[in-house]
Amino acid sequence: MSRRMLKGGLVLAMTLALCVARLPGHASAAPQDTLTLAFIPQENPEKLLDDISVISDYLAEEMGMAVDGYVTLDHAAAVEALRQGTADVSFMGALPYVLAHHHVDAQVVLAEVYRGSAMYKARVFVRRDSGISGLTDLRGKSIAFADPISESGYLYPLDLFADAGLMTPGDDPQSFFGSVYFAGGYQQAIQAVANGYVDAAGASQFADLLLTPEQLLEVTWIAESGLIPSHAVIARGDLAPPVVAAFKRAMLQLNDDDYHHLLQYVYGPDGYVEVDHAAFADVEALAREYGYLQD
Amino acid sequence: MNTRTPVARMTTGRLPIMVTVILTAIFLLPLTGSSHIIREDPWHPVPAAYLRSLFYLKLQPTDWTLVRAEYEGVREDGWELEAVYDGIAAAAEVDGTDHVAAIRAAIQGSDARALSATATRAMSQLVRLHLRRALGQITTPGAALEEVHQASRMYRAFDRFVRATDPQGAREIGRAWLELTTTVGTAGVENRGVRPADRERFTSAVGVVEAYLVANYEDDVDPHLTHFDPVPTGGRASARLVAPWLPPATDLNDQDPLPRLVLNFEERGVDEKELFLVAYGDMLFDSPQIFGEPALSLGITCSRCHNRSDINQRFFIPGISTRPGNVDVDGHYFNPRFNDRRADAIDIPSLRGLRFTAPYGRDGRFASLRDFTRNVVVNEFAGAEPSPLMLDALVAYMLEFDWLPAPYLQPDGRLNDAASDAARRGEALFNRRFEGMGDRACSTCHVASNNFLDGRAHDIGSGDPSSPGARDSFFDTPTLIGVVHTAPYFHDGSIATLAGVVDWFDGQFELGLDAGQRADLTAFLETAGEGADPYEVFDADNTQFQLFWGELSTFASTLSTLIPARDAEHAELLLLTVATDLRLDASALEDLSQAPKVFELADHLDDIRAAIMAGDWDEAALLFSGYQALEAAYEPDFR
Repeated sequence: MSRRMLKGGLVLAMTLALCVARLPGHASAAPQDTLTLAFIPQENPEKLLDDISVISDYLAEEMGMAVDGYVTLDHAAAVEALRQGTADVSFMGALPYVLAHHHVDAQVVLAEVYRGSAMYKARVFVRRDSGISGLTDLRGKSIAFADPISESGYLYPLDLFADAGLMTPGDDPQSFFGSVYFAGGYQQAIQAVANGYVDAAGASQFADLLLTPEQLLEVTWIAESGLIPSHAVIARGDLAPPVVAAFKRAMLQLNDDDYHHLLQYVYGPDGYVEVDHAAFADVEALAREYGYLQD
Repeated sequence: MNTRTPVARMTTGRLPIMVTVILTAIFLLPLTGSSHIIREDPWHPVPAAYLRSLFYLKLQPTDWTLVRAEYEGVREDGWELEAVYDGIAAAAEVDGTDHVAAIRAAIQGSDARALSATATRAMSQLVRLHLRRALGQITTPGAALEEVHQASRMYRAFDRFVRATDPQGAREIGRAWLELTTTVGTAGVENRGVRPADRERFTSAVGVVEAYLVANYEDDVDPHLTHFDPVPTGGRASARLVAPWLPPATDLNDQDPLPRLVLNFEERGVDEKELFLVAYGDMLFDSPQIFGEPALSLGITCSRCHNRSDINQRFFIPGISTRPGNVDVDGHYFNPRFNDRRADAIDIPSLRGLRFTAPYGRDGRFASLRDFTRNVVVNEFAGAEPSPLMLDALVAYMLEFDWLPAPYLQPDGRLNDAASDAARRGEALFNRRFEGMGDRACSTCHVASNNFLDGRAHDIGSGDPSSPGARDSFFDTPTLIGVVHTAPYFHDGSIATLAGVVDWFDGQFELGLDAGQRADLTAFLETAGEGADPYEVFDADNTQFQLFWGELSTFASTLSTLIPARDAEHAELLLLTVATDLRLDASALEDLSQAPKVFELADHLDDIRAAIMAGDWDEAALLFSGYQALEAAYEPDFR
């Protein structure tokens, strides 16, 4: 398939995802013959399309069924696609996952592994030469977070300030900081610090891997959260168990040396591990505290 | 030990692939998309081609074929573009300018200044175009954000140059990008985390970026692009020179997997710290300090090309390399005074077994390794004249490079009993005389009992004479030992596989080999050229950082000779190299929280250097003792 044809397929898939409604909880009596993956763009939707074709081909081969993939506009569209049944599987962080779980009954299937762990932390980064040594020093200063729907790029760093007694959960962070930005991603947030555009950034502990070695000398972190479940692979709640099992088996096979190179086509983790919803209890609790969940 | 390539530290093992990309890139990234744990943004083909074309204009003579190809095709994979021109065409929406026609005309006329000016305006207008589109879609957060991202991908062409020459402008623009991503709005999930767009603030931020671009990249850009660096031209930009830069698609990372280094003394169980000259030469092999600009600023070292004494198959600089693993070392960029104005990129040779492979250079132009080394330092990479000690040290170190053990070869170069039948049949062919080769055999030049070398240069037709009748396409006979791991082949790396080499000889010399014979001959090359355990294996007990740390610790140990000798010149070079590398290597730590300890050690080395520069050798000795104590204390934490 040429790129142009794939792009055409993308447009169609997005249209279907947004417009073709299927009842929530719908489960066809006929065996499912196609697995549909919804990817959230992170840097380059067009590049992601090429990645999708590689991983879809792999999954189709391993699962013995057709596998399609498309790129959604954002988290909201991916979750909506799971609700509508126009997507079976998606990939997202812990906070959007718990929202998807509560609102559309999405189920976590796997967690990404980085540096040998399926858990990671959030940190508050500052420039070494800023004179900022603690969270208190950031009163009235500027901070860049990654995204409002991000656990390590917003919720957990923000909660560090609440833990320090500097804010109350649910307060407008603007009440403490001088300026609050959402930079669009971990990398953009920490680059904003490294380049001196803001005083601090709240981002994943791994964000400093996205600095050049020279920038690494200039950036440090002053606070660190507890452990957060890694980004997740999630499925719609009524996806047939045999399909889930086959998908999970194929994805876990990516941990093997012979298949490891394919991980670069699914956001580039070091591997996957099985995980269940209980691992996200702390994220749920925090999401409730900050008003993301109200039940 | 050796493997110093600062940019490349994170490229082997199982580190996330995108980490390698950012460390490869010379440019920083202003903005991409939503978060994922570790992920980097690839270059969009339009700004990438733009920067490459400017870079080509820096090189003399400019290869206009390369320039044209950049705009007529797409080098970066995964984008919805058939040609860079297609991406540029959209910029006409801003003010009606036909940038494509202007760029084509500039290229057609080989007009470098016109090309740089018109392409720069086009890039600027592409940024503005996507910002305007974002504004037009501000009620659809995801779509508007994607347009902001696209604008930032285009702005990336200018970002490093703005930051280098106009810090105040860079801050204003940087904050404007943050305003844009913050005020564009987000849809949240299920009505949670929703942030409606703030049209007023968004529009204001668009205005900041647009005004800056118009003032600095569209009005009167030509006079400021003399050096083909896209620096801002507005009055506020300083006259500071832009640091040397390499264009997108450059890859200076180490080969992956990393070759295993076999040092003769180590195989004999000798500690490198007991070999001052070798250890100092090892440091120099990893030091950009021995080179001049631009290699110095770019961190180019001997080991950058000769990873762990072997090769670097991925080394690539657009315009200077013609394929990964080769480089034109006597071109314009690294030393204009040494520019031979020949486009003659050569395949990076392995240095394994170097003491047996004289003469040196692909055409064997240097009988002496010392002369060859000086030529690399002074002429190829514009370094200052090296001291006798430096040359002695470099030579002493390189003479320790051994080949990988060859599991299928006897000492006299014949195959041993472990070789396959196919390889044995191939060995017979290797030794057979062919009429097409003037009644000579492969082994006539590749003398098995002499490490498959004859120490001579031959014209086998693999190169093109530089003028009719010129007898200047002679190349040194290469060894076959370890050849499995040194692809591609020939002086310019033009043949990718050993099977391809066999096919080439079969055709060139009309050997008349059938398919089976070609396969057997290939099997022989693959068997004779096999090396045991060719790559470094990293695991929990042998991390990349530990490898780097071990080397740097060895390098620093030479201070125990240099300080008592009060050798300020060589101590300073050592300290500059090791302190810089320590800081850069910190990014390879498995646990980055240990980085401050690494930085502390680097600071300590700076203190030693300051004491030496002040002539206070007693203080330097005292500080060195302290450094050694810190090393011992911190080492257990370094992984």
